[in-house]
Amino acid sequence: MVVGCTAAPAAEIVLVFVGPTDSSAYKGARQGLEEAQAQGEFLGQHYTLTVQATSSPHPLQATAIIAATNEAGLYQLVTVNPGIAILNAELKDNKLRRTCRANLLHVLPSAEMEASALAQWRAANPQAKDVVARAWHPAFEKYAGIELNKRYQQAFNQPMDDTAWAAWAAVKLVSDMVAREQNADGTALLTALRDRLAFDGQKGVDLSFRRDGQLRQPILLVSGNKVVGEAPLHGAGESAGLDSLGRVGCEK
Amino acid sequence: MKKIAFSLLLLASYGSATAAPRIFVTNELGNTVSVIDSATNTVSATIPVGKRPRGIGVAPDGREIYVAISGDSVIAVIDAHSLKVVRTFSSGEDPETFAVHPNGNLYISNEENAKASVYDPKTGKLLAEIKVGIEPEGVAISPDGSRVIVTSESTNMLHVIAIPEHKIVANILVGARPRSASFSADGKTAYATSEISGEVKKINVASGKIIGHMPLADDKAKPKDIIPSRDGQRLFVAGGRANRVFVLDEKTLDIIHQIPVGKRVWGLALSRDGKQLYTTDGASDQVSVIDVSASKVTAVIPVGKSPWGIAICD
Repeated sequence: MVVGCTAAPAAEIVLVFVGPTDSSAYKGARQGLEEAQAQGEFLGQHYTLTVQATSSPHPLQATAIIAATNEAGLYQLVTVNPGIAILNAELKDNKLRRTCRANLLHVLPSAEMEASALAQWRAANPQAKDVVARAWHPAFEKYAGIELNKRYQQAFNQPMDDTAWAAWAAVKLVSDMVAREQNADGTALLTALRDRLAFDGQKGVDLSFRRDGQLRQPILLVSGNKVVGEAPLHGAGESAGLDSLGRVGCEK
Repeated sequence: MKKIAFSLLLLASYGSATAAPRIFVTNELGNTVSVIDSATNTVSATIPVGKRPRGIGVAPDGREIYVAISGDSVIAVIDAHSLKVVRTFSSGEDPETFAVHPNGNLYISNEENAKASVYDPKTGKLLAEIKVGIEPEGVAISPDGSRVIVTSESTNMLHVIAIPEHKIVANILVGARPRSASFSADGKTAYATSEISGEVKKINVASGKIIGHMPLADDKAKPKDIIPSRDGQRLFVAGGRANRVFVLDEKTLDIIHQIPVGKRVWGLALSRDGKQLYTTDGASDQVSVIDVSASKVTAVIPVGKSPWGIAICD
């Protein structure tokens, strides 16, 4: 699409961050906002990020909600804001994924995905010790990870961690979809995110949501302060690709 | 008198039409530029240039070669005759690639500060800055010099910028991580690759509209350079991790040939007569020479570590 200087007034996209402002997730969301705004300037979209410290029983005026809350808070957001995407950037619990709520999307990988990544790594490297699985790491350099880490470090004077990445990605995948669909309606956005996402989370592949609401994504393997690999490993789970990490399924 | 003699000497050394073109290759991890003699397909010189050389281009008069030294944030200027770095100039942080305008100016993407900058390489002076999306990378200038396309990798856009106004006239959303772009000979059409979505887009430059789209079959492709053949009938795409060059029909974008080359093929350069295509095979430390009409590799030339950019100096 083309936007000239006679473009229509900017579309407003209201993002609400629910969680503490001293969290990594909040900083990540701010970084994402900055980048969404940079894109929006070219396409006639304007983003705002408002903050609510905790979940509330009242519906929020939002295009999408980024959540860094506890489990009870998350469920409350999901229930009182039907049709609006709630993007979980804080909780890894497997059980949460199994609930498969229509408007609940998990940007942070589940604990199971990290466990699968570790298992694949250990199978391929039986000698490996002290390796941990992470959604993100400040020493990750590939796929312009180095650039993202630099931008975040410069903005907040601290390294980008897992939840900072997840909240950054939550804002960016929303802005990416709004830009592509040219539609700032929250419910349309939720459908598009579930059905048509192909998002560059700076992990080297297009990311999309599983039917249980979990974002498919590579997991980093970290030893000491170094990223030593990425899962899925070549050869391991090749046919299942990103779905070789964790379990996909819903429980009523 | 002395001056005249000097000019004649220059004419003699630069104007000789009989010498075979030379191919200049940046070795990203070797910190050098390899110079290949196209008559013998051997490396005739290796020039130390600085930390992490990537983008490379030739002055319109063929007398100087410019190299983006990403690690040192400078452009190194190589004299095409002496093959020495004769000067460097500061180019803004982390220059990755650039294109040379027919008037001699360089249009540089500065990956870290979301800008494209315009420099006069004679003086090293910054002439203009243009705000673009996040992580700008590929730069292409239309043959008539009236448009420059800058790709921004993290904003997933091609920015079409008018020259000399340096105003963005179109922002075109494409697949994830657009890396490289080029123009058709008549400047009416542009082509771009997207690394993560693994696809090629064809664009009508005047309307800023996407008029063609082709995913590359191989999901490991991560394509980079894309250039049209001299007759405009085909497109060559460096397939990155697919370890081959894709040859597409320019009209339909159908893949008509896949030519296996070395590992991680990123860079492409075409001889003036269009008969030879040269590739930088990043993980094989080599340049492959492709006979375009036969769609076959006819020579492999070992160069420095991690060859990246490639340019031909006739």
